Amino acid sequence: MTAPVLTSGELRRQRLALRARGWRDFLHRFGRRREGLVGVAILVLYTILAIAPALFVGPLETAVTATGGRLQPPGTAHILGTDELGRDMLNLTVHGTRISMIIGFLATLVTVSVGVVLGIISGFVGGRTDILLMRITDFFLVLPTFVLALVLTPIIRDVLGGGGEILGIRISLLVIVVAIGITSWASTARIIRSQTLSLRERAFVDRARVIGGGPLHTMWHHILPNVINLIVANAVLVFAGAVLTETALSYLGLGDPFQPSWGQILNAADQAGAPGLGAWWYLVPAGASIVLVVLAFTLVGGALDDVLSPRRTGRR
Amino acid sequence: MRAPVSRRFVRLLAALGLAGALLLPALAAPARAADEKLVLRAGTDQKIKSLNPYAAVVVAEYEAFTLNYDLLVNFGENNEPVPGFAASWTQSADGNTWTFKIQPGLKWSDGKAATSEDARWTYQTMLDAVAKEVTLVSGYLDGYLPAAGVTSVTAPDPETLVVTTEFPSTLVLYVYAPILPKHVWEKVPFDDIASGAYTNPPPVVGTGPYQAVETKEGNFTRFMKNPNWRGSALGADEVILTTFASSDTMVQALRNGEIDYARGIAPDQFNSLKGQPNIVAVEGASNGYTELAFNCYSRNGGVIEGGGASTKALQDPAFRDALGYAIDKEELVAKTLAGYGEPGSTIVPPFHARWHVPPASPRTFDIEKAKSLLDAAGYKLDAGGKRLDKEGKPITLRLTWPDSEAENGTDAQFIAAWFEPLGIKVDASVTEEGQLIDQLLPPEGEGKAQFDMFIWGWVGDPDPNSLLKFFLAAEIGVSSDSFYENPKYDELYDAQRKESDEAKRRELLTQMQELIYVEAPYHVLYYDSQLDAYRTDRFTNWKNQPAANGTPLFGQGSFGYWGLGAVAVPTPTPAATAAPAPSGEPTPAPSSSGGSGTGGGDSTPLLVGILVAVLVVAGIVLALVFRRRQAGGEEE
Amino acid sequence: MEPAPRGSPPAHGATVRSRYFLRQVAQAILTVAFIVLVNFVLFRMMPGSPERILLGRNPNVSAEALQQTKERWGLDKPLIPDQFVSYVVATVQGDLGFSFVYRGKPVTQVLAERVGPTLLLFGLGELIAIFVGLAIGAYSGWRRGGPVDYVGNGISLILYSMPYFLIGMGLLVIFATALGWFPTYGMVTPGATYDSVGEHAADILAHLALPLATVAIGLIGQYSILMRASVIETMNDDYITTARAKGLTGGRILRHHALPNAMLPAVTLIAVNLGYVVAGAITAEKVFNWPGLGTLTVEALEARDFPVLQGVFLLLSISVVAANLVADLIYGVLDPRVRT
Repeated sequence: MTAPVLTSGELRRQRLALRARGWRDFLHRFGRRREGLVGVAILVLYTILAIAPALFVGPLETAVTATGGRLQPPGTAHILGTDELGRDMLNLTVHGTRISMIIGFLATLVTVSVGVVLGIISGFVGGRTDILLMRITDFFLVLPTFVLALVLTPIIRDVLGGGGEILGIRISLLVIVVAIGITSWASTARIIRSQTLSLRERAFVDRARVIGGGPLHTMWHHILPNVINLIVANAVLVFAGAVLTETALSYLGLGDPFQPSWGQILNAADQAGAPGLGAWWYLVPAGASIVLVVLAFTLVGGALDDVLSPRRTGRR
Repeated sequence: MRAPVSRRFVRLLAALGLAGALLLPALAAPARAADEKLVLRAGTDQKIKSLNPYAAVVVAEYEAFTLNYDLLVNFGENNEPVPGFAASWTQSADGNTWTFKIQPGLKWSDGKAATSEDARWTYQTMLDAVAKEVTLVSGYLDGYLPAAGVTSVTAPDPETLVVTTEFPSTLVLYVYAPILPKHVWEKVPFDDIASGAYTNPPPVVGTGPYQAVETKEGNFTRFMKNPNWRGSALGADEVILTTFASSDTMVQALRNGEIDYARGIAPDQFNSLKGQPNIVAVEGASNGYTELAFNCYSRNGGVIEGGGASTKALQDPAFRDALGYAIDKEELVAKTLAGYGEPGSTIVPPFHARWHVPPASPRTFDIEKAKSLLDAAGYKLDAGGKRLDKEGKPITLRLTWPDSEAENGTDAQFIAAWFEPLGIKVDASVTEEGQLIDQLLPPEGEGKAQFDMFIWGWVGDPDPNSLLKFFLAAEIGVSSDSFYENPKYDELYDAQRKESDEAKRRELLTQMQELIYVEAPYHVLYYDSQLDAYRTDRFTNWKNQPAANGTPLFGQGSFGYWGLGAVAVPTPTPAATAAPAPSGEPTPAPSSSGGSGTGGGDSTPLLVGILVAVLVVAGIVLALVFRRRQAGGEEE
Repeated sequence: MEPAPRGSPPAHGATVRSRYFLRQVAQAILTVAFIVLVNFVLFRMMPGSPERILLGRNPNVSAEALQQTKERWGLDKPLIPDQFVSYVVATVQGDLGFSFVYRGKPVTQVLAERVGPTLLLFGLGELIAIFVGLAIGAYSGWRRGGPVDYVGNGISLILYSMPYFLIGMGLLVIFATALGWFPTYGMVTPGATYDSVGEHAADILAHLALPLATVAIGLIGQYSILMRASVIETMNDDYITTARAKGLTGGRILRHHALPNAMLPAVTLIAVNLGYVVAGAITAEKVFNWPGLGTLTVEALEARDFPVLQGVFLLLSISVVAANLVADLIYGVLDPRVRT
């Protein structure tokens, strides 16, 4: 077996060319799936809103700057009505986008990072490390993660201490990020681990070892690029789950009225008695947004899954 | 070949649908009450966790024990002392001996005679607890006898109770503790009573108007009329106190006629109930307040290892006073309470008409004045617009509130916005209630007092004494959460509790209120009104307590229940199941497994039965599906 | 998330099967033990001391009172040896302690009273969701690409994305508040007397209607998506084309191939669901104040009722472990490829 001898520069260029082609191919196939595109469109819309909400609706209205009457139905002054403090619902919902999306994003980052690292290490190193890590993973898989998050949040708040901000996000919300991250990494780790296990058996890994690459090098340069597909598909679904979890936690009162997420808006609606008073405008914008965003992620995730791991031959 | 596929499933769905449709008429059949009794249903968002009166913490639990039992001296229409267990009383010339005459011919609900021995036993138990330094469960009732200075209790004859105090005090008439039946309670070990292990399970024996016969802790408690009730005829045959998870569902239940009384409604719901037919929405003055409290800890220079306030400025009354001009209390009442409350002033709420004295020079909302007062007190702005304390540090104040009081969060938003132009940054965030309780403890209470400001509230008794304790030096580490210390205040407190002359006591309380207002360990934000509502189509003669500005139920004692009458034709207990027609009589609401009227069992066996039946059916269906599969096999 | 794919091919015979089962059971027990340990640690880490909460913000509380409360509830003994040992011993014996909040009621009793309603609600909900979900999914998959598919699949996806409480609030507003068809809250009428068991059952069923609809609707999505995918996959298999050519009816194909194919992942889904069911339980029960484990958890959490929280956690974790175990075993029986 003689491989052609290439300079490292040429090798890199070849690799990049292959990757570019892979990308084009991927986009082409993804574009054929209508649901995926719908999902992407929704996500793009909400991401734009999340990045600069003030551009669209001005700064977040507070109790002091509110101009509307109490619980006004949608009208000319306030397109989506007002809450019990007179704040504009459109304003609140758009700003809520930023909070919900950022929390979702950060939580996904934490979950996937931890899950991928532990998954790769566990699958690659094997042996007792693997067994130990798998025990821990199993435990987290089995726990009712939501209850765990409910319990962890006050503990973490205690450790990090209440107020203050990091990157414009209040600590009390970052606490939720940490709680979701801690409780959700397990299934990602499992998936990545099994992929790592099957990759490990492949020849190119042996070859890498023969050449003299250490385990870290192998994991980084050989395993990781080959699980990227899986990571991305998984991350999308994790994001959806994170948004749902954060919403539920906020609904149960762990949100922050100073930086309301959609869940927190729903919680406030509940406390103000909106359902019983028929103040649907308090519930629908945030509720619909949650459903749309999660739906979008699910669609994209489904489409990615189809494209990246085709199981069927023939039709479509 | 398309049709056959779906047919099977469609058939299955149709079968399910049919079953469901058949069920609905069954649901329409109402569960009639076995006999037509008039039941008063009152809803609250508080839980009754135990029927042991000493375990009472929340108003609903107090309500429960004032239904079950008499106080020695009850409270009348205007919260004045009226006969309770005792029919009359006299005070000796030197003021230190009170002689009570027990109601003649009084009987317990189980028929046994109720005598002064029961009262003596009850009071002696409470005195013993104090002597042994044992708290009776929550300890809320423990303080009444010591506050009144009671030293001993005797029962020279079955109709006379003699209470001796160490100083003349009218507080003897305000002991908010129930008289318990000795013949029932003496069988219970003292430790069980004191620890709360004894929950006083139904059926309860008492002399109050209604006794608990059934309780699902945290869900509902059902009371039946006392057959030996000493007063005039009671309108309701039964009373049910039910717990709702949210005031939203409670209001819906009131609208539907599922309950007759709703306590603690949100302002917007209150507005929507006004003017509804057969419903009266009543706003009661509150015996309590919501305050912005400061960490005034000044011992050891205010320094606490690993905790304490973030700036020494909080120890300075001038600083706190200046901040008071940056709080628009009217705005808070308008926005947070939707107008249902009074702007706050002194620590004795206006509810106590006899004792509340407005401050001599009340503060106004004036940001400029606040700024100039801060400057004058030595807190200057730096070049960047930040307010510096006397140590040269920019002032950043942490503000928190318990998660159980969501409206305090709204107040926090306002306060943060108002302090900003003063150059003071406010760092606001909610804290879980249990954690907050711990956070507020000083070293004397084994805590670190990790806070600067918080927003919380207090509720008082018929006598304002309990609301005055929070500023005593001796209470630091116990009930004082501002750690305010002033020997003058301590003196005044001691003097007023021993003062039985009303005018003199009022004078002392005036000084105390003024002192606290000026030195401001608390800024009392508002006296939030009590928002209740009740229906008038089943019960009539609802009387507010106090008459001028109270609510009919959940007041002091059981006054509100005495005069209630039935409206013309008492309607039978509302249908226990839903009717498809939107007539608005769906089932009244909340409980876990509601037992049957005759004190029957739990419905858990029933539930399990239903579930098992359904699972068996499902299992059969699934088995059929699988059998088909095996029989069919691969036919290629 | 899918379960991890199994590893190496089987050795041979029934001994392998029993070894597999034993291994699964052993793992389950180990996991439960781990849960018990962490359970204890976790709740002790929580901020807010129970003794203070027990006494409320009481103006009359003395320092001695606090100390006594601590002693009374065993909160003053050192954490690691004493409290932990007594916890483990008690748990093994089935004694889960006494509730702080309900003033000395045994935790087992508190749990027992709440398990029934949750079981009823979610048991029935799962069943309905399975039946209806599989039906919708089958129909969608069969008529793939058609309008039925789009509608069915679309609705499934949307429902899959909705948080339970949103569904619940919606149903509440429409059916209870606006139309008044169903009661808004709770499980039965307090203090109502029934002339027969039938009436009692009817009362429960009336209250059950909306929460059940919420749970069922929330769960339908995944089953329908699963079934649809299975049907589509089955349709594409080559031997199906052959079968069709031979004249087999669609119904047969569905019953004999698509449905069984969907069963395996469906079984796993149920087990996996259980973990997430709790999240749903808490929020769905909260909307209707259904007196089950969900509302119990939230109440206990707020009150820092450690014994009850530990009990709920233990119960739920053991249930999930048991369900996963059963799913694994069923999977092992049904799918001969699985035998690690």
